Amino acid sequence: MPVYERGYRHWEPSGRREAAPWWVIARRGILAPLRTRRFLALLLLAWVPAVVKGVILYFSFQAGDLMKLLGGSWSAVDAPGFFAFLEKQRGFVLIVLAIIGTPLVARDRSENGLALYFARPLTLRDYVLGKLLIVLFYFLIVTLAPVLLLALFGYLVTSGATGLDMLLLTPLRATVYCLLVGTSLGLVLLALSAAGRRTVFIAMSWLLLFAGSALVAKILALFGGPWMKLLDFPAQYEHAGSLLFGAKAPLEYPRLISCLLIAGYTVGAWAVLRRRIRPVEVVS
Amino acid sequence: MDVPQREVNTTETSISVRNLSFAYVAAPVLREVTFSLKPGAVGLLGPNGSGKTTLLRALLGHLPLAPGAANVLGHDMALSPRAARRRLGWMPERGGILPGMSGVGMVSYLGELSGMPARDALQRAHEVIDYVGLAEERYRPVLDYSQGMRQRIKLAQALVHDPAWIFLDEPTSGLDPKGRVAMLELVRDLAVNKGLGVLLSTHLLPDVQAVCTEILVLREGRLLAHERVAADGAAAARVFEVEGVGDEDAFTARLGVGGATVVREGRFALVTLRDGRGADVILEAAAATGFAMRRMRRQVATLEDVFFDIVKE
Repeated sequence: MPVYERGYRHWEPSGRREAAPWWVIARRGILAPLRTRRFLALLLLAWVPAVVKGVILYFSFQAGDLMKLLGGSWSAVDAPGFFAFLEKQRGFVLIVLAIIGTPLVARDRSENGLALYFARPLTLRDYVLGKLLIVLFYFLIVTLAPVLLLALFGYLVTSGATGLDMLLLTPLRATVYCLLVGTSLGLVLLALSAAGRRTVFIAMSWLLLFAGSALVAKILALFGGPWMKLLDFPAQYEHAGSLLFGAKAPLEYPRLISCLLIAGYTVGAWAVLRRRIRPVEVVS
Repeated sequence: MDVPQREVNTTETSISVRNLSFAYVAAPVLREVTFSLKPGAVGLLGPNGSGKTTLLRALLGHLPLAPGAANVLGHDMALSPRAARRRLGWMPERGGILPGMSGVGMVSYLGELSGMPARDALQRAHEVIDYVGLAEERYRPVLDYSQGMRQRIKLAQALVHDPAWIFLDEPTSGLDPKGRVAMLELVRDLAVNKGLGVLLSTHLLPDVQAVCTEILVLREGRLLAHERVAADGAAAARVFEVEGVGDEDAFTARLGVGGATVVREGRFALVTLRDGRGADVILEAAAATGFAMRRMRRQVATLEDVFFDIVKE
């Protein structure tokens, strides 16, 4: 068909509300993985520990002390118990975020997609916020969401015996903790994604940072003392978070040091993002 | 305190650039570029590395614009580049697709990012994909597209939000002859029949001849010429073959003062006149310097002649 016969019309705005650019990016990034059955199955699997904890909570209240003894931290209905649950979700956090987060920036960079984004009226903050919300959403799905439901469930099965602490304070603590950790981890993951173009290598870097650093720190701590655990990337979040939940500190040094390290990771990640996410790449 | 006023054009459909310079680290890429464009098809010509893509990126507000100033569609690009980008379309040469999306998914997504409501963006994405001729392929992943299809989907995403101007960076790059003709037909239709401003960056003169009515010629970051192109693709500049006897140097110098450029070619002097100047410039120069002309004949200069003439200078 000749070009002049094809229907190009000028666009007349319908008057419907337009969405903020960061929300457009976030919405698309959140919905896209949900179309994959394997990923949905992984999300369901990530909820299995929550179901197990729910069942143990129920029976420990019904069966009394014996079940509490057998259940260990799984049967705990206090804030440290829920903190322990959050830490047990670490494996799922590692895998879910690796799948969701590693391609977020790398894929845009691999085909010069950033040029398309930044030819639009959006800023670096819009772009990063949109991508960060995608990571944060899935982080919260496997951490905060089960904790909130479990807290409500625990309150109901104990007939309110656990008091307002279970209904308000624990969910509040978990929300603050998960938002802070999710934001920091999200920025670090986006920075890794922005640093390369091959998703496989980025996923390996994430695995090394998350699991590898913990392993290396544990081995070095055997010879070099507890300060070697400064190298343990995820342990810093656990160490700092234990303060918020009133749990026992897992590391020997002051929690302030872990807080400073986390702040350093976050600021460093933002600096990498600012440097790597550009509409124009300067090749020397 | 007095704030210095920027003297830039405020017309809502035009682009004007004044004394624009830019350097990557220490290497200057654009040097004091000044021009003004009204909607139409404008070719941005120049050898590789002449600063064409950098100029387009500066017009998109991706590069710092000091020294100099650019006013795009009534917006000062140093102050409000985002507002201007709502009405600009950009088709990059390299890459320019979003992996993991279908054709219609990518175009509607980018439409939303341009400020369109979701439903409008989807409807419009279908329309522009039909327009660029990818109707059958709209649901295929863009990563599986051939080079020709990629160029078309890149054009579609540049058009989805109905921009006033589109900047096309080597749009026929990597296309087979049939695909190239189809792409140029689309670009020409947009400029001529749909009233869009098109800034076409290329190093292929036939592409410019096929589409453009104006050319900007860049070399080493300098704007060497801003010319009109005739409807048949010939350059609007006039070239005359002149032969005569007398003080050739004085004659040449006098022509230079009159705005003509002169190249010696054997017995002849090839005199190029631009900006609508007529043969009277040559006659006046000959009279003033006592140069006795034996022959003066007009040559039909092609765009290629003028381009190489300009770049050679």
